[in-house]
Amino acid sequence: MKTILVVDDEQNIRFLYKEELEDDGYQVTVASNGEETFKILDKQIPDLIILDIKMPGMDGIEVMRKIKDEKGDIPIILCSAYGQYKQDFRVWASDAYVVKSADLRELKLTIKEIFNRPKVNGPGQNDPSNY
Amino acid sequence: MTESSLGLETLQEVTLIANSTLDLDETLEKIIQVIANKMHIDACAIYLVNESDGLLHLKAAKGLPEKARHINLQIGQGVTGWVAQHGTSLALSEAMQDPRFVYFPEIEEEKFNSMLSVPIPADCPTLGVINVHSIPRRMFSLEETRVLETIAGQVTGCLRNAIQFHQNQMTLKEIQILYDISLAVQSTLKLEHGLWIILSAITMGEAGGFNRAMLFTLGEKNQQLQGIMGLGPDSHEDAVRIWTELDKKKGNLLQWVINEAQRDLHRDSQFHNFVCGLNYSVIPNDNILSETVLQKKPFNITKAREHPLVSQEFADALGVDSFATVPLIAHEEVLGVILVDNRYDQKPITEENLRFLARFTVYASWVIENSRLFSKLLDTNRELLSMKEQLVQAERLSALGEMAAEVAHEIKNPLVSIGGFARRLKDKMADLSQKWGDNEDLKSAANYSDIISGEVERLERLLKNTLIYSKSGAIETEECQLNKLVEEVLYLFKAGLYEKNINLITSLEADLPLLNLDQQKIKQVLINLFYNALESLTLGGLLKVETFQEDYAQKQKMITVRVEDSGGGVPQEVFENIFNPFFTTKHTGTGLGLSICRKIIENHGGTIRVENQLGKGVTVYLHLPLQNSPDYYKN
Repeated sequence: MKTILVVDDEQNIRFLYKEELEDDGYQVTVASNGEETFKILDKQIPDLIILDIKMPGMDGIEVMRKIKDEKGDIPIILCSAYGQYKQDFRVWASDAYVVKSADLRELKLTIKEIFNRPKVNGPGQNDPSNY
Repeated sequence: MTESSLGLETLQEVTLIANSTLDLDETLEKIIQVIANKMHIDACAIYLVNESDGLLHLKAAKGLPEKARHINLQIGQGVTGWVAQHGTSLALSEAMQDPRFVYFPEIEEEKFNSMLSVPIPADCPTLGVINVHSIPRRMFSLEETRVLETIAGQVTGCLRNAIQFHQNQMTLKEIQILYDISLAVQSTLKLEHGLWIILSAITMGEAGGFNRAMLFTLGEKNQQLQGIMGLGPDSHEDAVRIWTELDKKKGNLLQWVINEAQRDLHRDSQFHNFVCGLNYSVIPNDNILSETVLQKKPFNITKAREHPLVSQEFADALGVDSFATVPLIAHEEVLGVILVDNRYDQKPITEENLRFLARFTVYASWVIENSRLFSKLLDTNRELLSMKEQLVQAERLSALGEMAAEVAHEIKNPLVSIGGFARRLKDKMADLSQKWGDNEDLKSAANYSDIISGEVERLERLLKNTLIYSKSGAIETEECQLNKLVEEVLYLFKAGLYEKNINLITSLEADLPLLNLDQQKIKQVLINLFYNALESLTLGGLLKVETFQEDYAQKQKMITVRVEDSGGGVPQEVFENIFNPFFTTKHTGTGLGLSICRKIIENHGGTIRVENQLGKGVTVYLHLPLQNSPDYYKN
């Protein structure tokens, strides 16, 4: 079973994503901020991370940079309420960018698409020297 | 009276005279009187070597006919000339019998039988000769010779004093002229007037005394020497006319120069127009003007046509064989060159002339530098002001947009939850109706959740459109060199940095790849950053600007501009608000402009980062992406 980590500071959104994605057959863990994210990552590396950009403290982009630098190339989907970060080149270091919506079809399609991408580096590898 | 008492008494009187006045002619007259009174003689004369013609001129006499006044003797000619040449005294009882004797009718020497002639001593042969004549034939005693020789020694002292005095007078006059010129220059802010005053001084008889002066300025960007002003007569006749006129203006130099400067008459002169048509590139070993710039030293050219750095063409155009060039230097930077010549009176240019000229060039350099700084300041201020206004405008708009975005954001997240759960609710209803079969209540509930998710969808669309509309600052990019933009903007700040005594260190990585940038907008950002740095550097300090390429998250390549100042940093509460568009520490204007800078950089797909070190300074990083966004990010 594929594992997904959802990081969002809004409790209801975490809840919504968890319910929806579990219904689709993924194993979902949640974190509400960067600190929690790294605590989880220290124990287990998921197959995919969904990261909200706008969070208090470390924002999603920073969390992503730290993950990519320290934990290796885990696939990451960045989310934000609007598309304003699309032009930010730092976001381009992610594997996908999805604008949040009550309609989760786009997010789900993106998840599938990422899992089906030909693997250059297997997801979940946590050795940065693989680059 | 004994001879020894004669000696003492005479010397005492001569010493008194020598110390009583600084006027040489007066001193000599008085010494003659003393000699005539104390010694038993009938005539007495003092000859001095004239500096310019090298002849012995009769300067003071008693007992000689009036016409003797005009007598000039060559060194070595006659008894007097012999004494001057050999520096040895001669006492002759039968003067006319001496083989060295040459008869001068002007002196009517036939009536004098005996003479005593002593040199006025100096290191170089002699300064002159003192003669005494006696009608009755007599032998001059050794004592008398010694007394006269001592008097001659006193005259040497007087002469030295007089020369010293004359030199002091000259220096005083020079200082006065320099002072007048500096006052005159300060009377005008116009570069052209200031320069005209200086060239006038260089060519004025009382001051520099050169016939003509030409001024070239060195282009800051193109390294070309451009003739900008020429002052001097157009022809020999013109020269005579001007010098006669100038003679009448003596004593009122300052006022005359100031008035004349306002009239701009020099522009009509042929010579001025000739100079304005001259233009030379600064190339080593090519021409004398370039060499003056490159070697930063004056040149005194005496044989122009034989000089390797003077072209035939240049010598012909000047029409002279001798001229001098002097560099204009301010802050170790050459601003231009002044060329002078004496075309009309052909006087050689002496080292003293050159020294005087060098002193004037200090003023010319000063005037040019002032004017450059002033106009640069005006230009820079104008440009900065308009940029600043644009920023303020953009900032106001962006502030509104930002607020709208903030509100929209706060609404969006709850909407996602509401809509998302409404959809889940509907799905659950569908599951239930499958389990329990059709049920009216379930149908109504499913309809309600449909309405909720439909309305949420409508709100989401509305918010999206609003945000697209309020998203300001579309950018028009083209490929360009970031370093060039940085240099262009820094150039605008050159005057400001200099004025505030700020040390600029730049380190721009060579051969950076080209970037797609909105040049105007990036310039605005840079101006804003430098402006903020300058504001913090009120007491001078360091501004460090760097560009370099680096990686981001080991995936992206980016180019970074790093701007570091040593302005002490900003207080923490200010730092926390620097990106807040409504926040400002200034009494006028809006915020620091950083919010709009961020917007611009973000529109380029870049990001801006600020580090604040209290007590040290602020460092701003602009990160600009090198590659375009991946396809899957394109809208």
